[in-house]
Amino acid sequence: MPPIQVSAEPQDGDLVAMTLRGDPEAFATLVERYDRAVYHLAYRTLHDVEEARDATQEAFFKAFRGLRTFRPGSKFSTWIFAITYHACCDRLNRRKRYANEEFPEQADTAPGPEQQVIAFDDRVRLRAAIDALPEKYRTVITLYHLQGRQYEEIASVLGLPMGTVKTHLFRAKEQLRRLLGETEVRET
Amino acid sequence: MSMHGDHDWPDELDRALLALPLEEPPAGLRTSILMATAYRPAPAFSFWEVTSVGVLGAVGVWLLVLLALGGGQLFLHTLATIGAWAMQALSNWTVVVWLAAGGATALWLTLFTGSQPIALAANRSTGRDGR
Repeated sequence: MPPIQVSAEPQDGDLVAMTLRGDPEAFATLVERYDRAVYHLAYRTLHDVEEARDATQEAFFKAFRGLRTFRPGSKFSTWIFAITYHACCDRLNRRKRYANEEFPEQADTAPGPEQQVIAFDDRVRLRAAIDALPEKYRTVITLYHLQGRQYEEIASVLGLPMGTVKTHLFRAKEQLRRLLGETEVRET
Repeated sequence: MSMHGDHDWPDELDRALLALPLEEPPAGLRTSILMATAYRPAPAFSFWEVTSVGVLGAVGVWLLVLLALGGGQLFLHTLATIGAWAMQALSNWTVVVWLAAGGATALWLTLFTGSQPIALAANRSTGRDGR
């Protein structure tokens, strides 16, 4: 009889519990699992490598410090994405306050990223199209990309009702199709 | 592949979105996160060690000043005065209760702001796979 295979990969909740019991390797595993996704969310929201880097560090630092407040049974990914999203919002607010710079959501109305949606590669073009979306749609699309069809998780991260998330997602996809269609026309 | 044609269908756009690779984080990001959190080096001295050294240092300086000013007599007289004042204060129940309340509050606060676990590192690069 073959031996029973038991998954050696601990769940996120177990890793949180292990970290709280004093096992730092457990937190290192959580960082390994999510640093790329967290950075992706930060970069897509902030559009700046350095700021995204700082926001990623800040998010993990806050998560580490506040690990005791993590509710057992909830998803670590949702929690860390929510912390990241709030860190990014703080940075966007600071940008607005100190540099008199407008939010990307508002700035996107000016010709800029949309004009740049002229690319040779599908992925590059799709990324450029996502960048051209207003901030609220871009964040929803980024979280959809990271979390798949888990609308409830996306709503938790953004602190929005699920219906609003679905609406934003629908409109974001519509705009993406339009942007990608325009690119196609420009290229031909 | 025609991006326009593919994205006419919602499923195609979904697939393209979900297949989009994650951004590559800058080199050293993971290390810096770990060094600021789980692998943060332990402080050379604990809070209690620093406090104890500080208190002993202060008492030493005080002793030296008293000895320099008036010799052993002044030091002993000062010690006796402080001892009498402390005994008088501690015999008052109100003072004791306030001290206990202060100590309990400090202890309660340290439970929420105390140090986090500290240790060593490892590296692996995943994106969504880890979920």
